[in-house]
Amino acid sequence: MNYGPLLFLGILFTLASSWVGLVLMPNRQLGALTANTSTNDTGVVVVYPQPRHGEAQQGAEHYRSLGCVYCHSQQVRPEGFGSDIERGWGRRRTVSRDYLYDKPVMLGTSRTGPDLTNIGERQSSHDWHYSHLYNPQITSKGSVMPPYPFLFEKRRVPASGPSSDALKLSGEFAVEDGWEVVPRPQARQLVEYLRSLKTTVDLPEAPLPKAAAVEE
Amino acid sequence: MNVIALILLGSVVVVPAVALWSLHWASRTGEFRLLNRAALLPFDDEEPVGQATDQILNRGGDRR
Amino acid sequence: MSSTNTLKALMPGDVQSDPARRAMLAEIDASCRVPVLFFVVSGLMWLLLGTLLALVASIKLHNPEFLAAWEWLTFGRVRPAHLNTVIYGFASQTGIGVTLWLMCRLCRVPFPAPGLTTVAALFWNLGLTIGVVGILVGDSTAIEWLELPRYSTPILFFSYALVAVWSVITFRLRRERHLYVSQWYLLAALLWFPWLYATAQIMLLIEPVRGVVQASVNWWFAHNVLGLWFTPIGLGAIYYFIPKVVGRPIHSYYLSVLGFWSLALFYNWNGLHHLIGGPMPAWMITVSVVASVMMLIPVITVAINHHFTMVGHFGKLRHSPTLRFIVFGAMAYTLTSLQGVANSLRSYSEIVHFTHHTVAHAHLGVYGFFTMVMFGSLYYIVPRITQREWPSLALISVHFWGCALGLILYVVPLSYGGILQGLGMNDASIPFLKVVEGTLPWLRIRTGAGLLLALGHVAFVVNLGWLLCRVFGPYRKPVVELFTETGTAAVTAK
Ligand code: HEC
Repeated sequence: MNYGPLLFLGILFTLASSWVGLVLMPNRQLGALTANTSTNDTGVVVVYPQPRHGEAQQGAEHYRSLGCVYCHSQQVRPEGFGSDIERGWGRRRTVSRDYLYDKPVMLGTSRTGPDLTNIGERQSSHDWHYSHLYNPQITSKGSVMPPYPFLFEKRRVPASGPSSDALKLSGEFAVEDGWEVVPRPQARQLVEYLRSLKTTVDLPEAPLPKAAAVEE
Repeated sequence: MNVIALILLGSVVVVPAVALWSLHWASRTGEFRLLNRAALLPFDDEEPVGQATDQILNRGGDRR
Repeated sequence: MSSTNTLKALMPGDVQSDPARRAMLAEIDASCRVPVLFFVVSGLMWLLLGTLLALVASIKLHNPEFLAAWEWLTFGRVRPAHLNTVIYGFASQTGIGVTLWLMCRLCRVPFPAPGLTTVAALFWNLGLTIGVVGILVGDSTAIEWLELPRYSTPILFFSYALVAVWSVITFRLRRERHLYVSQWYLLAALLWFPWLYATAQIMLLIEPVRGVVQASVNWWFAHNVLGLWFTPIGLGAIYYFIPKVVGRPIHSYYLSVLGFWSLALFYNWNGLHHLIGGPMPAWMITVSVVASVMMLIPVITVAINHHFTMVGHFGKLRHSPTLRFIVFGAMAYTLTSLQGVANSLRSYSEIVHFTHHTVAHAHLGVYGFFTMVMFGSLYYIVPRITQREWPSLALISVHFWGCALGLILYVVPLSYGGILQGLGMNDASIPFLKVVEGTLPWLRIRTGAGLLLALGHVAFVVNLGWLLCRVFGPYRKPVVELFTETGTAAVTAK
């Protein structure tokens, strides 16, 4: 094989094939997806998915910046493939449409921690999330999730009395008398984002199981 | 039938045709005739076949 | 010598035709000194930094309180910082250094346009420094293998373009018309990478595509960085160094042709097996699974070729550091590729996807195969371009055994632990925290393995630094001339 141009052509041609197949074709097929409009049992028109706004969207930026994606996936595999649904990580599998407005899409490739696709449905308590982020050992002894103390502020209890959103810390995690730990804006936004994570709407390509759908 | 299907069907014919043609071209111009000789390209008079290089470890006391 | 005559008779015509016009090996080697060393030395600096980041990340995974107070050192930043320093800082730069030298030698030209590659290396390091700092302060894109923030990547791309231009110039100037199999691999790598990188940058960072198309572009890119950038450079180096060190042509040149084209055809379709079970249309993933299984063809042909060339020459492993590292790398390539085929099967992926098994697999590939091959290549290249011998043979042994044992200790336990983790996760009756607890012993072993690897790296860098100090000192004639067997024989005869 001594003929340079032929080698060059071969090199370009082979990559071009998968470039068309795995980059352009998916873009053609999925790039045209739109939100789904349906009417639920109570006659209300539901458009799903919706873009995120405000605090939840700012929280998504923290989720990206702090690299939560390296331990948490956001995808539910179908029934019978793994035990995602049995573990309660979602009631139905996730499909392309669920991620329509995500930038970046953070599907994740690691489950050092649980899947978070539906954490908003599973855990909606602000307090739980704040304690967990401040130090996961408070809520989940033995976790390997890192603590995020820098998302919180330790300060003197103001003269007006303890702040309403101060963390309820006890035992080994308690702070000195006269001090309190409150979430910084980043923590608040991150928790809003986590609470916004749920795929609880029926889609034609991924219907919710019947019993669950009625309960909705 | 949409455009993509046409492109796919077309490439099913065109790709093997191009591949066959280039194979034919290559064998006609003798690309395969001396195939195994290209294996000698890393060698030359300075460092011919049969001469090992880079033999520096575990040589007994002869290195220092 | 009669062997030379036989060789002449066998050589394709014009290899021999005009020896006067062809550059001598020593002349080529000397011309490579500065440009190649520039890439290699900066690559090794990034390796040290990357090793440190890796250790921090590894400790954090079983000791989450470790360095937890600093935002910029949180796990989710250290991990991508580690990946990007070792991939773009160490592996890519060292790979480019080795590629430059191989291209000059195989094209039989003294290094053309050294200014071009020097500028490229400068910008590469500049772009990467900006990018890694960016990740640590929170600008990571969170797109795996592409975490470097948008403001740093154009610098890297520009620098890369210079290298590609250089390779085309060198190719056009070549004095050896015939192409050796290593050159196909290297040229392919040099042309594939800019295409991959440009596509990923444009479709993910500059003008992001919608929804999960991002994921397919992401994994098309990330898998191809391995398959179409590191793999061809590594294989190209193996195809050159095994024959060169043992002094025997490759087992079957025909197989190498088959191996190259089947790799070119199938590898680039593999990427989407990272999304098995994910929210993608089934056809995309199926195509990738099929292509992944087809990888058996190039892998087996390459394995036969490399391992059969070694048959009868295993004794040389005792004497050649290059051969040790390269043969280790070739074996790791075979293993990691077979493991990769297994990982891409749905039934197996159902278990090991999302676990530490994948991390072990990645290290068997990028470290066991590619990094070890690069180390081996450097043991050959550096003495020749500097005209100095390695100052300490003991340090070479520390390097080899630290890395070889470290890697085995890394990959074997973590692969096993990953399977247990996957089985545990797929059994919904086991609480998640129990599964987490089960991974701890394997994660701790991994930190130990990382320390061994770090030891090897330090030994290597010390040896190289020592050698480079001598370059600036007075010239000393090497004891073992040309580092060849005949050279050694001459010494013994004295
Ligand atoms: C080192 C890996 C790791 C990182 C990084 C990490 N987590 Fe976790 N996460 C875990 C583990 C392990 C658990 C399970 C134990 C627990 O609840 O802490 C978990 C649990 C969770 C849970 C509770 C899930 C449930 O089902 O109850 C939430 C919410 C969560 N993490 C959010 C985050 C956020 C937000 C970030 C980024 C700021 C993050 N995690 C980063 C490992 C990690």
